[in-house]
Amino acid sequence: MTSDANPAGRSGAVRTMHLKENLAGLALVAAPLGLLLVLILLPTVSMVWNTFQVPVEGGTVTGIARYQAFFADSYSVANLRYTLIWTLISCVTALAISLGISLYLRFSEGRIATMIHALSLFPLFVPAIIISYALVRFLGPNGLLQLLLEQVGITGYRTPYLTPIGPFIGFVWENIPLPVLVITAGLSQVSDHAIEAARDLGAGAWRILFEILLPQVHRSLLIAFALIFLGVIGAYTVPYLLGPPAPEMMGVFMQRTLGNLQRPDEAQVQAVILMVLSSIVGGFYIATMLRGEVGRK
Amino acid sequence: MKARRKKLPVGGIAILLAMSLAMVGPILSVIIWAFAVKWRYPNLLPTEWGLKYWRIMLGRDTVIEPILTSLALTSVATTMAALICWPAAYAFARLQFPGRQLFLFSFIAANAVPKFALFVSIAVVFLNLNLVGTFWGVVVVQMLSAVLFMIWIPTAAFRSIPPALEEAGFDLGASHLRVFVMITLPQALPALAASYVLAFVSILFEVDSALLIGAPQITTMPLLLLSLSAQVIVQEAAVLCVMIWVPCFALLLLTRRFMSSKGIAQGFGA
Repeated sequence: MTSDANPAGRSGAVRTMHLKENLAGLALVAAPLGLLLVLILLPTVSMVWNTFQVPVEGGTVTGIARYQAFFADSYSVANLRYTLIWTLISCVTALAISLGISLYLRFSEGRIATMIHALSLFPLFVPAIIISYALVRFLGPNGLLQLLLEQVGITGYRTPYLTPIGPFIGFVWENIPLPVLVITAGLSQVSDHAIEAARDLGAGAWRILFEILLPQVHRSLLIAFALIFLGVIGAYTVPYLLGPPAPEMMGVFMQRTLGNLQRPDEAQVQAVILMVLSSIVGGFYIATMLRGEVGRK
Repeated sequence: MKARRKKLPVGGIAILLAMSLAMVGPILSVIIWAFAVKWRYPNLLPTEWGLKYWRIMLGRDTVIEPILTSLALTSVATTMAALICWPAAYAFARLQFPGRQLFLFSFIAANAVPKFALFVSIAVVFLNLNLVGTFWGVVVVQMLSAVLFMIWIPTAAFRSIPPALEEAGFDLGASHLRVFVMITLPQALPALAASYVLAFVSILFEVDSALLIGAPQITTMPLLLLSLSAQVIVQEAAVLCVMIWVPCFALLLLTRRFMSSKGIAQGFGA
């Protein structure tokens, strides 16, 4: 891609140049890579190691007692289950809504489509803490939504604030832009001719969707799913501000265990369990991208 | 498709209305609250407007200090991240060296680690090193968040500069440094600035690092917001939100001009 295109014949000088380039390249990337190593790899490895050290009289032994304790505690397990279920529901909903918006945008033009596109990207500019607080004010009891509904004569509003629906709405809200970005990019690669040709051959809307459009965005959808999942499963601010006091999402649970209860050992076990669960999706994300990188060459 | 007859796009208008309500409604209610002096149920809008709560908030040391702390932390972390990441981005885009693809990839792969769980592990390590509750402890963790923005966007920016321009500079006898300063840097600058702003804003509002590494000694603006949001007086948190977010929103809008949607998507490997 870059200086490999040197003409042959200057081999000696070129080799020294290459060596210099190699060293310069490695030196320039060393610092940020070192940061990843020191702040991701080392703490993770040390944390996993710690969780298998079980205190006994006069020292520690290696064992799984801490994990047994976690899974024997019904409240911990309930939190884990709650986290997984609502993470999945939020991911799927965000993707479904984004897919709907992207499909609409693919087949529309004009001012309305431009405005819808802009609105769908708006959450990119709104940090989690701002939208969480804003949703408290908007969805909460006597909030703007309730006031608006009552203006048009709809009474009996029951707020989702402090129920599992609260953080769910927050997660979906936050996670519309990324899938819209990647799906619209994918859909724009399908030519109008291909769709018209399919239509002329008698294909219905669903067939066009499943056999022409979705295959184009298949990979983007998977990557978006993984990224949303990884963001939501470890979220703190959204469930802390919008969710019920119990059960807790794992982020809130870990923070309380570490910060309020001062039990770093238990917090580490919770964190490792969360990491292991995420690594299934994370590994899949990495594999999908590696395949893409190879495919791109 | 273009041949279709024009009719009133009912579906489009319905989607637009629903999305306006969902996307703008929450933020709008915070903005109204920030300028409301009296807003009691069941009035649709405040019965008394004013800047009363702005004066109250701006007159408090307990408000100003966390804001200054946040600005200091974020500036230091983002600048240090830029200093180590931008040269690395240049290397990824322009130089050949062993492990280049693997290293570059490891910066995307870092997205695959759930951040909060990772911060728990860092907090435990820092606890043993007495770094919890210190300025530099928070800075180092915030740098990690910045790195993820500051490798990908700048690498893409350096790559998009046609090498022919630089080669022309070399052919005219310019040194490496001169070519970099005179040709490469000016072209990459808008994207570099955009990556700086993106990282800056995302760190400024980051709750997780401050909560797990900084608290309780270090109180940042997001932590203040978190504690204010539980207060009975709604306006306090609303004022803080509007005061900090609106300038950031304007900054982010500026950067959008220098970054394509595709560029953002690529940063996530999508």
